[in-house]
Amino acid sequence: MRKTIGLEVNGRREEVEIESHWTLVQLLRDGLQMLGTEEGCGEGSCGSCTVTVDGELVRSCLYLAIRAEGRSVLTVEGLARDGELDPVQRAFVEHGAVQCGFCTPGFLMSTKALLRDHADPTDDEIREYLSGNFCRCGGYTLILAAVRDAAGGSATGGAAAEG
Amino acid sequence: MNLKPFEYVEATSLDDALKALDAYGDEARIVAGGTVVVPLMKMRMVQPEALVSLTRVEGLADVRGDGERITIGALATHRAVSTSPLVRDRLPLLAEACGRVASPVIRSMGTIGGNLCYGESASDPPSAMLVLGARVHVRGPEEERVVPVEDFFVGYYETAIGEGEILTHVEVPLQPEGARWRYLKWTPRAREDKPLVGLAVLLDVEDGTCREARMAVGGVADRPVLLAGASAALSGATLDDAAIADAAEVAADEVDPVDDLQASAGYRRDMLRVWVRRVLDQLRA
Repeated sequence: MRKTIGLEVNGRREEVEIESHWTLVQLLRDGLQMLGTEEGCGEGSCGSCTVTVDGELVRSCLYLAIRAEGRSVLTVEGLARDGELDPVQRAFVEHGAVQCGFCTPGFLMSTKALLRDHADPTDDEIREYLSGNFCRCGGYTLILAAVRDAAGGSATGGAAAEG
Repeated sequence: MNLKPFEYVEATSLDDALKALDAYGDEARIVAGGTVVVPLMKMRMVQPEALVSLTRVEGLADVRGDGERITIGALATHRAVSTSPLVRDRLPLLAEACGRVASPVIRSMGTIGGNLCYGESASDPPSAMLVLGARVHVRGPEEERVVPVEDFFVGYYETAIGEGEILTHVEVPLQPEGARWRYLKWTPRAREDKPLVGLAVLLDVEDGTCREARMAVGGVADRPVLLAGASAALSGATLDDAAIADAAEVAADEVDPVDDLQASAGYRRDMLRVWVRRVLDQLRA
């Protein structure tokens, strides 16, 4: 059944026509042509489709699109501000923490949640937050380095300045 | 992988949801976080005609305490439970178990009610619930009933929830202050896996004597089980090597382990024996 719902995506008010059995990743990709969020496994295991809804991390391949009505969604396209990459994105670029790039949007969203909850994360906390994201190229070492760097840079800047 | 069409019923009250369940009968499934029913539908393992969503029913996600117990609404997510200051303070065993479920993303979607209704043996919260003596509140069309959690898991992915019923909340007695506790999650591969041994232990120890022990395990048998024999063997015993070895042996003997691709029944039994011994050894100090 087709239905038009209103929601906020990356701070912008959207009206979008969806099918009531769509998932949120279908709403984003097919309904809004926002192709930043990738669908990998489609069953909640790989983490490529990770976004936030009202600030909480979700797998957009398991989250029913209709549930997003009236809520606020943040995707990878919403991380950069005024053409400036988010510090997490910049760290991934600087470390070359991207091989094929398919998993990268999901890793970026999980890293943002990590830094929201732990401004100065331990290695264990980093691994815990990224445990739900798979990189099939196996590029974890550079991803971990990028996240450590992003954490140092965003944790009040003190750690980097002192270090 | 996309979902096949279904009716979506957005309940705004429990009565609404109960009416929808009554109207669709066996053809309806409840959905909350969607981490179980959505993948099962995508894999074509279940094809309900209707999904009845509880996510907009007011008050179902509340976590409240009253000095004797903490009441956790069915829609409270694992993240909400594991990070709740109240739960961390008064039910640290449950906070720890909920904080070990899968990965942070799944914890912020999946709910306690959904977890229990799934009836998955290899999950973290149920063994903590068993040890703490939780009581599960279930609403049906006619009445509300309360099911002690040890009677809630009745078989392989089977629970005491009947057709047309909804789990509304769980009532968990406060963990005794000063009790020694541990939730041990043993996964053979990655940290976000389901537990092969998910062992919850709560001990009341005084002067080296274990006055009361409660132990439960998920991932070993076809359902989460209270280790009643091992708990009884340890209760009243001096916490020495012999008592610990004996409790581990009783635990390994009293379970009926699952034999599947994850592990053989024998391996599960061996790992349970090992982890009961190690955890009790750690808690003795």
